[in-house]
Amino acid sequence: MCSLRLIPIALILFFSSSIVPVNVVFAADELNCVLCHKYRGLSRIDENGEFRLFYINQGIFKKGPHKRIQCKDCHTDIEKIPHDPAKKVDCTVLCHLTEPSGNEKFTHKPVAEILSKSVHGTATKEENEVEYPEDFPYCTDCHDQPLYRPLSFFKGHAAGVSERGLSRCKTCHRTGDFAEDFYNHVTSRLQKMRVSNEIVNLCAKCHGDKEFQQRHGLQSNIVESYRETFHGKAVYFGSDATPDCIDCHVVYGENVHSIAGKKTAGSATHEANVAATCRASECHKDAGEMISQYQVHTDYNDPEKYPMQHYMLKFFKFLMAGVMYFFVTLIFLELLRRLFPDFSFIKQKKETHNSTVTTAARD
Amino acid sequence: MQKYPKIVKRNGKRYFFRFSLVQRVQHIILFTTVITLALTGFPLRYYDQPWAKPLYEFFGGIEKAPWIHRITGLILLGLFIFHTGYWIYLFFKNRVGRLIREKTLTLKNLVVEFFSMEMIPNKKDFFDLVDMFKYLLYFSSQPPRYDRISWKEKFDYFAPYWGIPILGPAGVALWFRDEFTQYVPGIVLNAFYIMHTDEALLAVIFLFFVHWYNVHYSPEKFPMGTVFLTGYLSEQDMIHEHYEEYERTMKEEGLETEIIPQKH
Repeated sequence: MCSLRLIPIALILFFSSSIVPVNVVFAADELNCVLCHKYRGLSRIDENGEFRLFYINQGIFKKGPHKRIQCKDCHTDIEKIPHDPAKKVDCTVLCHLTEPSGNEKFTHKPVAEILSKSVHGTATKEENEVEYPEDFPYCTDCHDQPLYRPLSFFKGHAAGVSERGLSRCKTCHRTGDFAEDFYNHVTSRLQKMRVSNEIVNLCAKCHGDKEFQQRHGLQSNIVESYRETFHGKAVYFGSDATPDCIDCHVVYGENVHSIAGKKTAGSATHEANVAATCRASECHKDAGEMISQYQVHTDYNDPEKYPMQHYMLKFFKFLMAGVMYFFVTLIFLELLRRLFPDFSFIKQKKETHNSTVTTAARD
Repeated sequence: MQKYPKIVKRNGKRYFFRFSLVQRVQHIILFTTVITLALTGFPLRYYDQPWAKPLYEFFGGIEKAPWIHRITGLILLGLFIFHTGYWIYLFFKNRVGRLIREKTLTLKNLVVEFFSMEMIPNKKDFFDLVDMFKYLLYFSSQPPRYDRISWKEKFDYFAPYWGIPILGPAGVALWFRDEFTQYVPGIVLNAFYIMHTDEALLAVIFLFFVHWYNVHYSPEKFPMGTVFLTGYLSEQDMIHEHYEEYERTMKEEGLETEIIPQKH
């Protein structure tokens, strides 16, 4: 009996543990930053009037890619606690982690270099092309940490974790979380981290913005036109086997940060390479060279750039309008005729008129 | 071919023969495939509408629905080919055969026979159309006297008969785009994409509003005309829709005295 009475108390304790922040200090948090950052309300309105939330969900952080990094490794400007407003993180700094293959300090710098030379970077551009430097993306514009989109935590997209596979590693790699960490590190890179729809939405953050398009002289309906293709629709319905933006705009096998414009020789969308890009995927591996002439980003409202599509659509619109107006009017008149079945403006000889016409016609 | 009597009597009422069993089965295959194709196709066209995803999921979602669409499309294309063979067979059997028997098989006669087939639009259809407008706009109190196939039915017939050759090959090309682009530029697929979806939209809207008005919604038919199941049309409907054929059939069957006037 006594143990039964304890059940509600145990339940309350169990559930409260998920509500009240647990004061656990992770190995990475030597400076005990979570002492303050564990509170969910830790926030302020910054100088620009924007609401900033500084709460760190440790449960999510522990599952993220930076779980073995100390806060200060990225937030390098913090010297004292309590600290002043921290600067934006620089992803190209040297981590304290050692990259095992070359035994050197790890950094994201090579990625940043690829990005800076890509269409999204400023390194290879003329000065007049960098009119709006603030529009060029920084790492965190695309790589929003799971921390900052807390709801994605509930979506359950775990990166290729197979308990059975992991158990094989653990037979030998017994110490700490080594097996889990490296297993996750490798397997998460073997597949997409985001579903295709998320990628499209990510690119659309900038490329779907009308003002952004105007500032950079980009085609206005790039996102909508993709959504209108079979690719876009299949992705919308949750297909993962269908290409999103990255699949067509990155040369197959190259780093995804190396996206180049279609005028750049060697880019995935350069007219000389389009067919190869289509064929690189599983879907169109047998496609002919002429698949490159398929126009993915069609703007039906642009008769100069896409005359065939524009006028074909117009033809079908007129055909539809013509047919439907004619027949709907007919149905309307037919229903109206039933109200006065015997009325006629012109008096006629009974039954003769029609017979003559039809007989004549039959002859 | 007296397999189907021209007039049958059921419960004291006369019914007039219109469609043979082969034709009725073709129609059932036609509407089943067209409805399935519409239900598995339009969620893609209107992917961002709230009904699109649930409907698509019902047909198996992006993994299965496209296959249902493709296989149903093949059945419809098969029906198209069968039907073309069917009318060619009837044309040779009934018309060319007669010309051969009568030893009058000339090119001119062949062309005349071709254009006098019941589905081919002719001069009478034009006059019927004029008569219909006179009647509908109250310039005449005499409704048009349609023969076996009215101009409306011919339009109904040629809607899918020109629609399938437009939709079908376009659909097949989009399906086998890899093989297709070995021989034809990719921009043709852009054109096929428009042809496929927009012709489909026209067909579906036409069928839903116009054809279904003629056979379902109109006051005489509601909720449903039964000729597509039985192959026979009631005397009342014959008088209303095919008076010229009605008169002729009654005369042929020796029932001249029992002909009911068109307006009674």
